[in-house]
Amino acid sequence: MSGADVDPMLHEARARLSRADKVIAISAGKGGVGKSFITASMAAALAERGRRVGVLDLDVHGPTVPKILGARGEITAWKGGLRPLRSGNIELMSVGFMIGEEPLPSAGGEKMSLISTLAALTDWGHLEYLLIDVPPGTGEEITWLLRALRGLEGAGVLVVTTPSLLAESVVRRLLKLLRDERVDVLGIVENLSYFRCGGKLIRPFGEGAAERLSREFAVPVLARLPIDPSIEEAILSGNFYRSLSEEVRSAISGLVESVETLNPAGR
Amino acid sequence: MHEWSLAEAVVNSLLSFARKEGVSSFREVELTFGEVMELNRDIFRTAFEELSRGTPLEGARLVIREEPALFRCNSCGHTWDFDEAHKMLSHELGILEEPSGDRESPLHFLPDLARALLKCPSCGSRDFELVSGKNLRVSRVVISE
Repeated sequence: MSGADVDPMLHEARARLSRADKVIAISAGKGGVGKSFITASMAAALAERGRRVGVLDLDVHGPTVPKILGARGEITAWKGGLRPLRSGNIELMSVGFMIGEEPLPSAGGEKMSLISTLAALTDWGHLEYLLIDVPPGTGEEITWLLRALRGLEGAGVLVVTTPSLLAESVVRRLLKLLRDERVDVLGIVENLSYFRCGGKLIRPFGEGAAERLSREFAVPVLARLPIDPSIEEAILSGNFYRSLSEEVRSAISGLVESVETLNPAGR
Repeated sequence: MHEWSLAEAVVNSLLSFARKEGVSSFREVELTFGEVMELNRDIFRTAFEELSRGTPLEGARLVIREEPALFRCNSCGHTWDFDEAHKMLSHELGILEEPSGDRESPLHFLPDLARALLKCPSCGSRDFELVSGKNLRVSRVVISE
């Protein structure tokens, strides 16, 4: 027979993902809604709760999780593969550590092959939670994710949206795809939901999008996060999670608590 | 040292295939590696043999073929080989190998990073193809009847 039926890298990627108790992919379909921020914050909150947590940054064109977490350094390789970089108590793997500030244009099939190889070679050790920051788009990245997570016990997707009608429309397509492919959706997170001004709560992008999606797809809204200047300041501070405002941290903490209840580690 | 993880990936995927298809024993496995991966065949062979012990892969003849790398620029049409590409790799970006302490280019582990790590030596464009010699594939297996 030919070897076309065997894809060693995708197979190994699935095997290595399955070593984590729980795999949670954070996805939106749309760019700029705050997936990487939510991924990094959730990882920090889980680590603060004493969980062994890793983050796989699949955003190969714009890897930002290392920047958010203030992680710098060089990846090491050993017999077991590539060791993730440890940032605080978080294990982090990102091509950002390998390409510096260089751009990475890619074409037909390359992205799928790159993320398969990255996931296949990363040696996480034992994790309770592996969070995957999924890049925008419903092309190769999502196709890879569907193949990697299909039938994987303890795996689910958290979908991020904003109240904007444009985000809602893109997220609806993503939710349809996930439903059609029978992927477990843990819930919806509404980011950039509101801000406070002079004691008033202002919703600049309107409201109701998360509820409409929640009703339509029968998935819960797990958190609403404000627009908050403390987020940018926290990223620059070098002590990201601790520097977030109380309001943001409380929302993230509530989100992590819901995820832990819905999808507890240690199966 | 990524030869061990690559061998693990190949062995596990073939054993999964064997379980699915009811294959009790392999006679031959032929693998094709891209030149860009700079595979150490001896280490890979040792790893493959060790990981195959006690499985349907034990004793299978392992054939390793290397596919030469060829790059082609979509902007100016220039073509170049891996030796020329190797000279252009930055020493600032690397992966540290344990226990040797050697620093290798990330390209060696993740060939799909080529467009971040290289440019066309003739015109400087990143719009080029790695036409051949990139990844690993199982090109052929022969199973025992």
